[in-house]
Amino acid sequence: MLFLSLRVPADDAAIQSHIQTLASRKSSERAVAFDALVATGDARLVPFFDAYRIGSIYLRDGVPFIGGDVITDNNLDQFVSLTHVLTGETMLNEQGEPELVSLLELENLSPNRKERIKVRSVSMLLNLSSPDNETRLNAAKKAGMAPLKTEAIPILSELAEGDASKKIRHTAAESLALLELGTSDDADLRMDAIRRLGELDSLRALSLLENMLEKDETLTPKQTAIVLTARKHIMTHQQKVKFFDNFKFGLSTGSIYILMALGLAIIYGLMGVINMAHGEMMMIGAYTTFVLQKVFGHGPETPQNHFFLVALPASFLVAALVGWVIERLVVRKLYHRPFESLLATVGVSFILIQVVRLIFGDNQSSNSPTWLVGGFEVANDMTLSFNRVFIFFLTMAAVTGVMVLMRYTTFGLKVRATMQHREMAASVGIHTRRMYSMTFMLGSGLAGLAGCALTTVSGITPDMGQNYIVDSFLIVVIGGVGELVGVVCSGLGMGIILQSLENSFFSPVWAKIIILTMVVAFIQFRPAGLFPPKGRLADV
Amino acid sequence: MSEFNQSSVNRAKRHLVIMAVLGLGVVPLMYFIGLMPIETVNMLGRYLCFAIVAVGLDLIWGYTGILSMCQALFFTVGAYGMGMYMAHQYPSADNPLIPQSLYVVYPYDIGQGKGEEILPWFWWPFKYFPLAVFFSILVPCLMAALVGLGGFFSRVRGVYFAILTQAITVAAFLFFSNNDMFLCGTNGLSQFRTFLGFDLGDDKLKLIMYLMTALSLLGVVGLCQFVVHSRFGRILVAVRDAEPALRFQGYKPHHFKMIAFAFAGAIAGLGGMLYTPQMQIITPSNMAPIESILIVVWVAVGGRGTLTGAVIGALFVNLIYSWLTSPISIGSVRIWSPDFWPILLGLLFIAVVLVIPTGVVNMKMPAIGRKKEVEA
Repeated sequence: MLFLSLRVPADDAAIQSHIQTLASRKSSERAVAFDALVATGDARLVPFFDAYRIGSIYLRDGVPFIGGDVITDNNLDQFVSLTHVLTGETMLNEQGEPELVSLLELENLSPNRKERIKVRSVSMLLNLSSPDNETRLNAAKKAGMAPLKTEAIPILSELAEGDASKKIRHTAAESLALLELGTSDDADLRMDAIRRLGELDSLRALSLLENMLEKDETLTPKQTAIVLTARKHIMTHQQKVKFFDNFKFGLSTGSIYILMALGLAIIYGLMGVINMAHGEMMMIGAYTTFVLQKVFGHGPETPQNHFFLVALPASFLVAALVGWVIERLVVRKLYHRPFESLLATVGVSFILIQVVRLIFGDNQSSNSPTWLVGGFEVANDMTLSFNRVFIFFLTMAAVTGVMVLMRYTTFGLKVRATMQHREMAASVGIHTRRMYSMTFMLGSGLAGLAGCALTTVSGITPDMGQNYIVDSFLIVVIGGVGELVGVVCSGLGMGIILQSLENSFFSPVWAKIIILTMVVAFIQFRPAGLFPPKGRLADV
Repeated sequence: MSEFNQSSVNRAKRHLVIMAVLGLGVVPLMYFIGLMPIETVNMLGRYLCFAIVAVGLDLIWGYTGILSMCQALFFTVGAYGMGMYMAHQYPSADNPLIPQSLYVVYPYDIGQGKGEEILPWFWWPFKYFPLAVFFSILVPCLMAALVGLGGFFSRVRGVYFAILTQAITVAAFLFFSNNDMFLCGTNGLSQFRTFLGFDLGDDKLKLIMYLMTALSLLGVVGLCQFVVHSRFGRILVAVRDAEPALRFQGYKPHHFKMIAFAFAGAIAGLGGMLYTPQMQIITPSNMAPIESILIVVWVAVGGRGTLTGAVIGALFVNLIYSWLTSPISIGSVRIWSPDFWPILLGLLFIAVVLVIPTGVVNMKMPAIGRKKEVEA
């Protein structure tokens, strides 16, 4: 039990000699050497102990090696490849291939019964003293989960007191309390552990505490009070975490909605076209990203992160190009005929979905660039993942871009003029058809960008756009057509409200129904959206 | 518009007679002399149900100018009503009060223990045939009225209303797919044995259902023709063509819109009610958003504002569908795969709008209601 309370670092020569001693037949000598090895706290020994447990440690002229799989040749001679325990280098022959050494030249180390039992917790304990923060954190977390191992208590308390990383101190303290609660027979100690868990806002302890309140009949009233206080403390924290998560997911979902609705709003506002194929522009953006990922050979093992830098503009451009083709072939004849354009673009969306399905098959998973994996911890249990932050900032950048384009450029001026009065704009020399065409491309491109962003948080399917189109239209209805700010507000609002409703006591179905009722109620009061057009525009 | 002169009334009567001869005369005759297998009659019966919904949509879209993308919802609600009645005909062996269907999703868990389950309250009326028929029509009608109340009274118009109805369809689709609603979730109602004393496999039942559907369709078309030629129908057309003008004359367009919409909902419920005994399964996929859009396309293909066109469009598109969703080969060469169907359907959508905007029935007439949409 006490063998880890003192950490005795050792140099490589000492480790080597300890390992050599493990070959000895005297179990007392072996035990001393084993404990000394563990006491080094050297994380390099984790693979050693894993291999030692299954008996694949070999001594070659006194040097310890980890053996690979044993290979038997036709003469029933057995060979094994060797990896140095401390350097981690694999022995190579002259051809540069792993050298196969006959077992006859090697001395095999196998653990005795006592060591076999000990060795199981050793790798955890060694991980706890690893110099790598990540490894130490994971080990600290694992120490609090079943199977609980009391051996970890001393080193955990050491970590909880004095580790350099705040996060590890917190996790170690939590695991320590969980360990004590789970293994101790001393009621006072357990109550103290519960009190500490409450103070630590330990979400992991919540179900445990609830179980205690429900099933444990030996609790005295005073003890019950302690458990209740701790539970209340944790539940308050849980509420905060939930709120944070809803906000975070809502913000990113809302961002996708904004990118979609922005295009829909300007297309409908300018040319009176309901584009039901808008969701498919998003799908095309997502598949463009997917194809580029394949072309660059990006994968979890072979990160080629720069593919994403190409994919962002490419998804915009490809979707814009497809939008241009659709505009040329179908939409051009349907300006200011919303019903007809609705029907025709539904047809377009059928065709696009089925063509993509025939080419790529049904479901594809995508890998986002590695720098979008992970997140930073804002507070305990609240992690802001990079991909969601990225989506939010991408959307903000796109919205700013569109606003600048509309307000401060000649193109924007011409588009706004066409939107206000088409004939008048045409008569002062604005090529209104070109404005229409370019606006349609811009809207499609924004949807393509949304598709590219969406690949970082979810998989891609040919009909992925269908999930977003109806909601995006509702956002346009709420936000109003003329004003981009309205779309941004209603998109973010919709994302956050929908997410909060879905994750509270409502199921997604009821959340949808509630949102819809809210939209209908909203329309009763503001039929023209959040920011209704004023003056002459209001009559159009 | 030509809808109100005598020649238009005569043409409507002529169409009704032709439909009656084809539906009640030619098809049964072909069946009796052995030219048409009962499966085809059954299939036609189902398509006639679709035609009933399409006629209802034509009334509100073609004549009143309301594009509804939730007719399939009303259709499916009606179908569920009749499905619940049929499910009652096959009670569980353990508890004669509970239909076997209800065990599809929740084996022995709808109430307390086995044999003590409680029938969900809304299943009760559907135990009795007259009540089942009544509610299968009334519930969709009231739902439509409610949608109309929410939409028309706040002056949600044009495509905004269409988007709203589609959102409602999505919500309802999720609602019916939910396992907790005692409607068997995505599995739908399917465990049927008998209907009105007939075994479901009985050819006689299929023929009777076909004839009932054909009669209902004729009734619905006749009724709608009467409506559109009445003063009420004139107001509906006025709503479509010049709603503000109508309002300035002292009419309340939203009342008329709501009544027409509720009426179309009831018609859709009737179609759905006739559909279940012929299809013998009803699932939430029947109300998926795309189904409602399909109904719009049937009417558009046939020609909106003609009633007859809605029937022709529904039959035409569905017959092509049943033909083209099986592989076709010439010799050993596969020339058609069902995978191409959505592409063809998409092309049909586009063609309907760009090439034959007036529908196949009335190809010479200018597009109805286009003037209105320019203003919208």
